Amino acid sequence: MSGVSTEIVDDLNRLMAEEIEAFLRYFQMRFRLRGQNRQAAEAFFEQSLKETLEHAEGLASRINSLGHAPTLHIRLSLSGDAMRPDEALAEAADVEQQALDAYTEFLPRVAGDPVLEPFVRKQIEIEAEHVQSIRDTIRTTTPLSLVQKRAAAADRKP
Amino acid sequence: METWKAFEANELTHSAAHHLLAIHDVGLAYGGWARVSDIARRLDITRGSVSVNLRPLKKRGWIETDEHHMVKLSARGLKAAQAVMAKRVVVRAFLSEVLDTPGPQADIDSCKIEHLISDETGRRLARFTRLLTSDDPAAKAFLARFRSSHGECPDNRTCDVCKGRCLADELQRAI
Repeated sequence: MSGVSTEIVDDLNRLMAEEIEAFLRYFQMRFRLRGQNRQAAEAFFEQSLKETLEHAEGLASRINSLGHAPTLHIRLSLSGDAMRPDEALAEAADVEQQALDAYTEFLPRVAGDPVLEPFVRKQIEIEAEHVQSIRDTIRTTTPLSLVQKRAAAADRKP
Repeated sequence: METWKAFEANELTHSAAHHLLAIHDVGLAYGGWARVSDIARRLDITRGSVSVNLRPLKKRGWIETDEHHMVKLSARGLKAAQAVMAKRVVVRAFLSEVLDTPGPQADIDSCKIEHLISDETGRRLARFTRLLTSDDPAAKAFLARFRSSHGECPDNRTCDVCKGRCLADELQRAI
């Protein structure tokens, strides 16, 4: 793995920052939820924050295995304003979409790498599933079904 | 509305202004369209944050997005961005060329103020700065007089500006 450039490590650090920031966002969002479907949305965010932390850990491990320590650079300030579950889910959908786009754009840069390419492909698959399930939920406004779908997706993880 | 409440209600926040300017600058080379990843790098924040911060801008009709998640300023957004850019230039010129504020500090302060002052104040400030930096002999003399003065306060520590308490002393204490 010594052939991996520092630019790749920088990209992995940036991806990790996306995941950690999403984790913090979801962590705090749970306590801002108000209105109908609040409990189901809280459960969704609880599940999501576990998953984003797992993803961040996966990235940190990859960085470590490349002989580097992960560096984390985030600037985040979140208001404490109340949020409706549908607003929170729409925001989560945007965040997940960005994570998906980030992994997708990163993929060509690790093409052929026996470790990183399969890892990134797997992340793309998971993120695509997340985005789709959130969008489906927003359309049907039944957050409970999302939690079940996501739980099922999590069970399939290696 | 009281001024501080109006300030809080200002729809163009500091963050929003920076996002509009970043979209404008990044999009210059691509027909106005900017990628979220480029905006994120420009602002040194995550793309997740950019996407969340863009939501209110989209709601207000300042930006447009396409199916590839590219972002562009709308006509209204472009107008807002141009107004912010113009006010930044005007404020910077005033700070730097009139008040003689050092360049880096003028950059920082103009960035902080640009989105807060009204277009009308921006226009007046531009007029004032233009006059003071013109070849008008009176303006030249005034500017020279200002630059050569050291702003010594009177012995009794009050004047028409401070009206009872020495603001220069207070600012000195605050440093």
